[in-house]
Amino acid sequence: MSGIETVKVIVDAERQAAKIVEDAMTQAATIRKKIDSLIQEQRQQMLADAKKEAAAIAARAEEEGRLEAESLEKESAQMLQDLVAKASAKKDATVEKLVTIVMQVEK
Amino acid sequence: MSETEKFTQDILTNARGKAETIIREAESETQRASDEAKTAISREVDGIIRGARAEADAIKRRQISEARHRSKIREQQEKDKIMQDVLDKSKKRTFELARDESRYVPFLTNLIEKGVRELGDKTATIHLNERDLRNVSSLEQKLNRNTSGQVKLEWSKEPIQSSGGAIISTPDGKVRIINTLDQRFEALESKLLIEARKSLFGE
Repeated sequence: MSGIETVKVIVDAERQAAKIVEDAMTQAATIRKKIDSLIQEQRQQMLADAKKEAAAIAARAEEEGRLEAESLEKESAQMLQDLVAKASAKKDATVEKLVTIVMQVEK
Repeated sequence: MSETEKFTQDILTNARGKAETIIREAESETQRASDEAKTAISREVDGIIRGARAEADAIKRRQISEARHRSKIREQQEKDKIMQDVLDKSKKRTFELARDESRYVPFLTNLIEKGVRELGDKTATIHLNERDLRNVSSLEQKLNRNTSGQVKLEWSKEPIQSSGGAIISTPDGKVRIINTLDQRFEALESKLLIEARKSLFGE
């Protein structure tokens, strides 16, 4: 192999080597670019899921609160009914008591 | 293998090694970025869920507190209704009793005596409603007995507008002790309310 041929072979090899490195850099850039969009997608998906879950939590709480409030009101309506019944039974005696107070003149 | 071939092989081998390193670095860099992003997103998601739970708790608490408040208002309205009814009936019953001489006359006598004492004058003018004016003579007897005639009692002929009781005044009318039934109800209202509440609701 002549000197010129040898130089040519080496230059070719250098060119191939540079191409290999360049390809690797392109591939690396693609990998980096891909991960960015993957992360964005993942973020959007996870946030959308979280918002859905948040809405479900709020709806569940609203329903639970409604039921609890309903039961509380039912319970207090029953208690009120009892209270009114008891108080009504004491009305006449109370009237007499108040009349006595009014008719009692402090000496 | 010639020296030249060996040399070119070395160049290519180095290039491949470098290429592998570049890709490996990119991969590990992206892996790291992905891990960091996942942690950050998880924090964001946790924040959203935590916020939703706090809001949900607030929603529940508000609904329950509003229900309690509504119940309290209903209870108060019912109690007020009963109290008002009892007060009205007490008034009615007292005014009815004003027609029962056996209970009313001693009461009226006491009221007048109290008024005369409060007035503290030697002469007292007593003002009654039309019905009671018809019983002046029996009242006068009782009063004279009780006051031993220490105070001169005068009876106004002008009837007062009242369901019962009396107004005791100095003869010139400048000082007046109002002891009518209506005034007693007014004066005793807070005491009557307290007693009624205690008796009806045990409060």
